[in-house]
Amino acid sequence: MKESALPLEPFRRGKVRDVYIVDDERLLLVATDRVSAFDVVMSEAVPHKGAVLTQITAWWLTTLAPRIDHHMLSADASEIVREVPQLRGREKEIAGRAMLCRRATVFPIECVVRGYLSGSAWLEYRQHGTLAGEPLPKGLRESDRLDPPLFSPSSKADVGHDENITISRMRSVVGERWASKLENLSREIYQTARGIAAERGIIVADTKFEFGRATDSDGTEKVILVDEVLTPDSSRFWAADSHEPGHAPPSFDKQPLRDYLASEKRAARWDGNYPPPPLPPEVIDATSKRYLEIYSRLTGHPLNTDGAL
Amino acid sequence: MTNIYSSPLAERYASQAMLELWSPATRYGLWRRLWLALAESERELGIPIPDAAIQQMRDNLDKIDFKAVAAYEKRFRHDVMAHVHAFGDVAPAAKPFIHLGATSAYVTDNADLILMRRGLDLLRGRALDVLRALTTFAERWREQPTLGYTHLQPAQLTTVGKRATLWMQDLVLDIEEIDYRRRILPFRGVKGTTGTQASFLELFEGDHDKVQRLDRMVTEKMSFPAPLPVTGQTYTRKLDAFVLSVVAGLAASAAKFSGDIRMLQSFGEMEEPFESEQVGSSAMAYKRNPMRSERIASLARFVNSLEGNANQTHAVQYFERTLDDSANRRLVIPEMFLATDAILLLMSNISLGLEVHTAVIARRIAAELPFMATEQLIVRAVKKGGDRQVAHETIRKHSLEAARAMKEGAEANDLLDRLAGDTSFGVKLKDLAGAIDPKRFIGRAPEQVEEFLRDVITPLFAGHTAKQERAEELRV
Repeated sequence: MKESALPLEPFRRGKVRDVYIVDDERLLLVATDRVSAFDVVMSEAVPHKGAVLTQITAWWLTTLAPRIDHHMLSADASEIVREVPQLRGREKEIAGRAMLCRRATVFPIECVVRGYLSGSAWLEYRQHGTLAGEPLPKGLRESDRLDPPLFSPSSKADVGHDENITISRMRSVVGERWASKLENLSREIYQTARGIAAERGIIVADTKFEFGRATDSDGTEKVILVDEVLTPDSSRFWAADSHEPGHAPPSFDKQPLRDYLASEKRAARWDGNYPPPPLPPEVIDATSKRYLEIYSRLTGHPLNTDGAL
Repeated sequence: MTNIYSSPLAERYASQAMLELWSPATRYGLWRRLWLALAESERELGIPIPDAAIQQMRDNLDKIDFKAVAAYEKRFRHDVMAHVHAFGDVAPAAKPFIHLGATSAYVTDNADLILMRRGLDLLRGRALDVLRALTTFAERWREQPTLGYTHLQPAQLTTVGKRATLWMQDLVLDIEEIDYRRRILPFRGVKGTTGTQASFLELFEGDHDKVQRLDRMVTEKMSFPAPLPVTGQTYTRKLDAFVLSVVAGLAASAAKFSGDIRMLQSFGEMEEPFESEQVGSSAMAYKRNPMRSERIASLARFVNSLEGNANQTHAVQYFERTLDDSANRRLVIPEMFLATDAILLLMSNISLGLEVHTAVIARRIAAELPFMATEQLIVRAVKKGGDRQVAHETIRKHSLEAARAMKEGAEANDLLDRLAGDTSFGVKLKDLAGAIDPKRFIGRAPEQVEEFLRDVITPLFAGHTAKQERAEELRV
């Protein structure tokens, strides 16, 4: 499914997820199967990708639940339909991919935690020896493990990619009290998750959390984890056996897709712009399998895809 | 054809790649891609557009019959409608749906943004080529002392390589500006005639959500970060001004470089490359003129004179749009890109073949350095038992005489000989000469070159490769 169209008031549509308003207290997040590579959105959907993103989030939130407050109310389609009767008859469209969530006032900061030096962080380090403007030890290689992990917030840009910002800039955006709370929570969740994933042969090289403020029925205000959590789209996942400092390991999820597109480019059948080449079924299938594999590696059981559209 | 005017930018100066970018084939190919993206998105949102329509559009993106277009244009006096019909002829199943809900600016404006963005990418690549050539040059000449000039007068020494890093740094700063502009450049998107999206609201029977999704879906397909939140009929012409100011910045950096080269060539210290059969002057056969640098200066002045034009066009766009931007933009935008492309090609070519004449440089240093070494000469005199104030006065007196002698025809600066011959100064010529070894006057210039190349240039090249290879990984 590439586009959701549910009988609810739309709140926001992201690159991959559609958000609907259920009522004053609740939102419905629906992850589609859209996929992009080399900055181009593919015409085809990757089956089960949306469900994998949602169910991985659900699994992490359940696993981390004793430690952390979060926004998930349910990621089970039949339970969601019971809670939101307007969705009756739409079970197939939301199966696996929808999450009923508590509304929160979201902080305008992406809380990025990096346990390995990669991506834009590696580029900044190589250019300036810093990350988010703070100096790092000399002599680090690409993909080196960082101990302790680094907290590097970024602003949520309305237009364009998010921009790395300094921690002091973050303090002035959200206030001193919340800034240190968000940093501590981010580090704590990442450290715990890094250990859990490592036991399953997955390296979470870096990840991005979002937090919001919500008020409990007794009037106390608290910080809760929102959005997607530790998914292949919000994180950089590597297979532990492909990690080698000095190199960028292949991406766990999108590598089959990228390899195919790279070969189309080399053969001059695609110029790298819209429209993308049609994807052969085996490439779509291989990519879909990668997503499903991450789910089963993490959780220890395969994703239930029965009844899904 | 020699009996009608043709642009020298196309005939003589710009590269094949930049000429192709601004060609009718590329522009109208983009229009067709934009129509395809619109139809695909409308179909995904429920408009019953058949598979055959999409497939026929896809199959004919670059098969444009320009004769048919010209015939339609003669009939309709409207370029966009001419292309709609020509596209419909080769994609008959799509004919009823092409351009559905859209206004001309949907294709014209969005294509301009795509073209400008690709133009920036091409110019960025050109600037990197120049930096590669200058890297080799700066590295090779990092320790070669040369006269610095402030106020165009001889000043303390620097090195040939260090001066090259000044040119390089300007381009690095330009590249950073390109990267910023390119990253945030928004799309005009799907907005309709006055930008209210009324026609699309009609198409989707009042479904605001679908209209918003259409705008976003097309923007995503064309790989832009976001559509402009609001527009009139056109995107605000401020975007042109922003982009073209970055382009003009590149031209200005190259012009500064060309000015330095022209003067260095006049001094005889350096020369731009000169082909073995090149003729310098039709009358003076021995001449080697810095004509490539002069051409940079010439084209850069043209580019910089156009920069303000973009802001003026923005300033006179009234209400939701006026058409007095059109003919002007048709000239200004491509010509600024084409001319700057030519400028950077020239700069690359010069940078690859720059000749350094160390004998001339040494002679010019020798003529000036004794005057600059006052402090070092005083120290030598005091170490030999002299009085600082007396030594200063002696140097002042002899310097004035040596300078006057040179102005009156003396071949060389004989200040040191004069001082050595003055017993009151009390330092031998050999010791005085030791005080004016040029290498003592270049400060940290060689180290600055090494540091600059290591800390700024190497990562820039590495980042460039990484950027191409892993565009979408920069998310985190």
